[in-house]
Amino acid sequence: MSEPLVRVDDVARAYHARRGLFGRPVEVAAVDGVSFALGRGETLGIVGESGSGKSTTGRLVLGLEPTDRGGVVFDGAPMPKGGTAEWRRLRARMQMIFQDPLGALDRRLPIAEQIREPLDIHGVGDRLSRLDRVGDLLDRVGLGVDHGRRYPHELSGGQRQRAVLARALATTPDFLVCDEPISALDVSIQAQVVNLLVDLQAEFGLAMLFVSHDLRVVRQISRRVVVMYLGRIVEEGSADDLFATPVHPYTRALVSAAPTPGRRLVDRIVLGGDPPNPADRPTGCAFHPRCPVAEARCRVETPRLVDVGAGRRAACLLVAADATPNREAA
Amino acid sequence: MADLATAPTRRFGFALPKLPPAIALALVWVIAMIVIAVFADGIAPHGFTALDLKHRLAAPGEPTHLLGTDELGRDVLSRLVASIRISLLIAFGATLISALIGTTLGFLAAHFRGLVEQVVLMLADFQASMPFLIMALSVLAFFGNSLPLLIGLMGLYGWERYARIARGLAISAGSQGYAGAVRQLGASPSRIYGRHILPNIASTLIVSMTLVFPEVILMESGLSFLGLGVQPPMTSLGNMVGYGRDYLTRAPWIMLSPSATIVLTTLAVSILGDWLRDRLDPTLR
Amino acid sequence: MARWFALRALRGALTVALVVTFAFVVLRMSADPALVILGPEAPPEVIAAFRKSWGLDEPIFVQYLDYVAAIFRGELGRSMRDGRPAIELVAERIPATLALTLPALALKIGIGIPAGVWASLHRGTLVDRAVMSLAVAGFTVPSFVLGLVLVLVFSVKLGWLPSGGQDTWTHAILPIVTMGVGGAAVLARFTRSAMLEVLGQPYMRTASAKGLPWARAIRDHALPNAAIPTVTIVGFMVGTLIAGAVVVESVFSWPGVGRLLVVAVSNRDLAVVQCILLLVAATMVASNFVVDLLYGLLDPRLATGARGAGH
Repeated sequence: MSEPLVRVDDVARAYHARRGLFGRPVEVAAVDGVSFALGRGETLGIVGESGSGKSTTGRLVLGLEPTDRGGVVFDGAPMPKGGTAEWRRLRARMQMIFQDPLGALDRRLPIAEQIREPLDIHGVGDRLSRLDRVGDLLDRVGLGVDHGRRYPHELSGGQRQRAVLARALATTPDFLVCDEPISALDVSIQAQVVNLLVDLQAEFGLAMLFVSHDLRVVRQISRRVVVMYLGRIVEEGSADDLFATPVHPYTRALVSAAPTPGRRLVDRIVLGGDPPNPADRPTGCAFHPRCPVAEARCRVETPRLVDVGAGRRAACLLVAADATPNREAA
Repeated sequence: MADLATAPTRRFGFALPKLPPAIALALVWVIAMIVIAVFADGIAPHGFTALDLKHRLAAPGEPTHLLGTDELGRDVLSRLVASIRISLLIAFGATLISALIGTTLGFLAAHFRGLVEQVVLMLADFQASMPFLIMALSVLAFFGNSLPLLIGLMGLYGWERYARIARGLAISAGSQGYAGAVRQLGASPSRIYGRHILPNIASTLIVSMTLVFPEVILMESGLSFLGLGVQPPMTSLGNMVGYGRDYLTRAPWIMLSPSATIVLTTLAVSILGDWLRDRLDPTLR
Repeated sequence: MARWFALRALRGALTVALVVTFAFVVLRMSADPALVILGPEAPPEVIAAFRKSWGLDEPIFVQYLDYVAAIFRGELGRSMRDGRPAIELVAERIPATLALTLPALALKIGIGIPAGVWASLHRGTLVDRAVMSLAVAGFTVPSFVLGLVLVLVFSVKLGWLPSGGQDTWTHAILPIVTMGVGGAAVLARFTRSAMLEVLGQPYMRTASAKGLPWARAIRDHALPNAAIPTVTIVGFMVGTLIAGAVVVESVFSWPGVGRLLVVAVSNRDLAVVQCILLLVAATMVASNFVVDLLYGLLDPRLATGARGAGH
């Protein structure tokens, strides 16, 4: 197996939050020791509830935020510090799609000019070839030349996201991070944009990190999937395996909650307890207060992410005991 | 002034048919003031320092001295025109400087956050909590009274408002919005701030400028009235009022025409500012 | 709460420190006071002796440290004109200034707040428009213009009131009115917009829907809430009690602190100017502190949570 395009090694990121204006600063771990690798042309999905650190992970991978610990290696070289000229140059090869396309576009510039902007920034081609390229890109994402002359507020949500996509692809990047790219769109348009993403991914040979809370979409678009809970990976595996036979109790709950054709709703595992709050992380296994099968030791021992066979990893004391009985959980 | 005032009305009345009459009047007045300031030399009937000892303290209405003369027989109209030029020059220059300083500091605070941001916010707090007149008084008297210094000093007036606006808008544009997206395209900070954030917040900044501008006029005329602003032989509206105070009993016209000009100009710009704020930027208080 | 107090105190101290430094840097670096006081023709040995006795020959940072140390000892320097302690000169002017600014403040509050409340409750009526037009006029007419016009009318034309000086209480009427009118206008405008904002809040509709008489809803809910932004403005006005009358005192030749400041500035009397600056800063900081306390009383949420910026 060749060197992956993106290797994320034990990255962590904490924020300092205050309770009230004058409260003591509290350290909130948004991401805590996440590792994974992503090969060229591969798609990795990250799923989790809000507060799971999945979006922060996406930003850390791009170097948009500094890591407190660990590092990201892109194409064999460590990620330069955010904001440096080197880091900026690298943007031509890695791009991001945002949740809110209207917010990600400049209200005061026509669409075509914004799609051209990465070409201007990175000095790709001359003026004429850039205009040609913008025309191609518009065409490729299903927008017309007249859309290019319009302003963001004159487009529909789906058209805006297409424009953002065209802008991200302008410099033919190798790697694309999509942070909830369809959750702000009308349901009727979501499928179109997902299909477009799949097509473009294949056509451009993009490596893609697809961050979403929507299991169905993640399953459709990703080859491998990572499940996050309170800043840590709790399970990882190929999309088909993971959704067919979830190992971690949290994944099981997620999968059972997602409506899947052909499965009865009777088996649904309903997640009880409070939704995860990064500022108030439970001891031991962070999932234990909501876990239907939690035991006493789950409250004390923190499970490590261990190999559970068939290229899958999981972080659960019970699962780890089943799969690798000889291994002591940390 | 009457014929100056009517000509632009028709033109603007045609171009902007829905302009309320008060706004139209204010606009006409401001344009008239700018025209007077720009073409002061052509408009003034006499040199503003020219003495006419035969007509000292002449009342308004004389054909050669429409607004009368002062103790030395200097033409009040000519002095008024010269004063409008100086006062507007100071107010424009100061407003621009203040907007430039404030916006730059606001952007620096938004860009670097941390210590830089804390220092900027602390200075802004300080500036807002101290009476500007007292600070300006000390600086001016001790540094002397050159015109560039006066403009520079007045340029410190109100910068904290731009700084707060620019910082707030830049931060919100950067964290989630378009500026964050452009940064991640690989744009340099100068591109992010110059090409994207500045055009987006320009209307808010311009509204703030129209709100600060009249205050600068009042501040400068106050200083000049105290004899600590614009120095003779140069003249400003405040100087004229200060000088006219000594002739309040015998020749009230010396101070009345500059007083009226100050009041009408600040009023006109304030009205325009309020109107612009309602139209361009309802979020600004 | 203790932490909150500490932070407020720290911010106040920081403001004062900034003012001291500002004053020192500006005043000491700008000109040579020896030449200003003694004149350019003074013999060199006289100038040298003067500098020595004022500590002006020391390096600038030594002067600064001396200055800060002196402030902590309560010594604010001596006037370079007559050698009297600056604090004394300033202190003896304070009563005269307060004799103007206190009644003026009462006038501002007594007219401005009721006018603003009244206008907000009768929005759109002729009275509302009249109050607001007057308020705009109060903002756009500078105090020296207003003062001179009042003099022109009441002293020169009508001969009812004296135009300047401090001999009898009638001398104080015009300056007080001059100051009060402008401030009342600002306050009326502010109170009105604060009230209008509160009146549009859902809880006011809830209060009247619950059957609370409108007058009581206004008294119990609208007024306390509208008081919060108004208190900020009043706080700033209180902060300028000492030196807020610079222009008006000059118009009416009133021998207060403001007049002293203008004269001291013209004479480059460093100690006096610094003393006044410091006094103004201290008053400002103190009134800001009181405003913050009032905020806590008016709205307990604000004492612990974030509070809106003053401007």
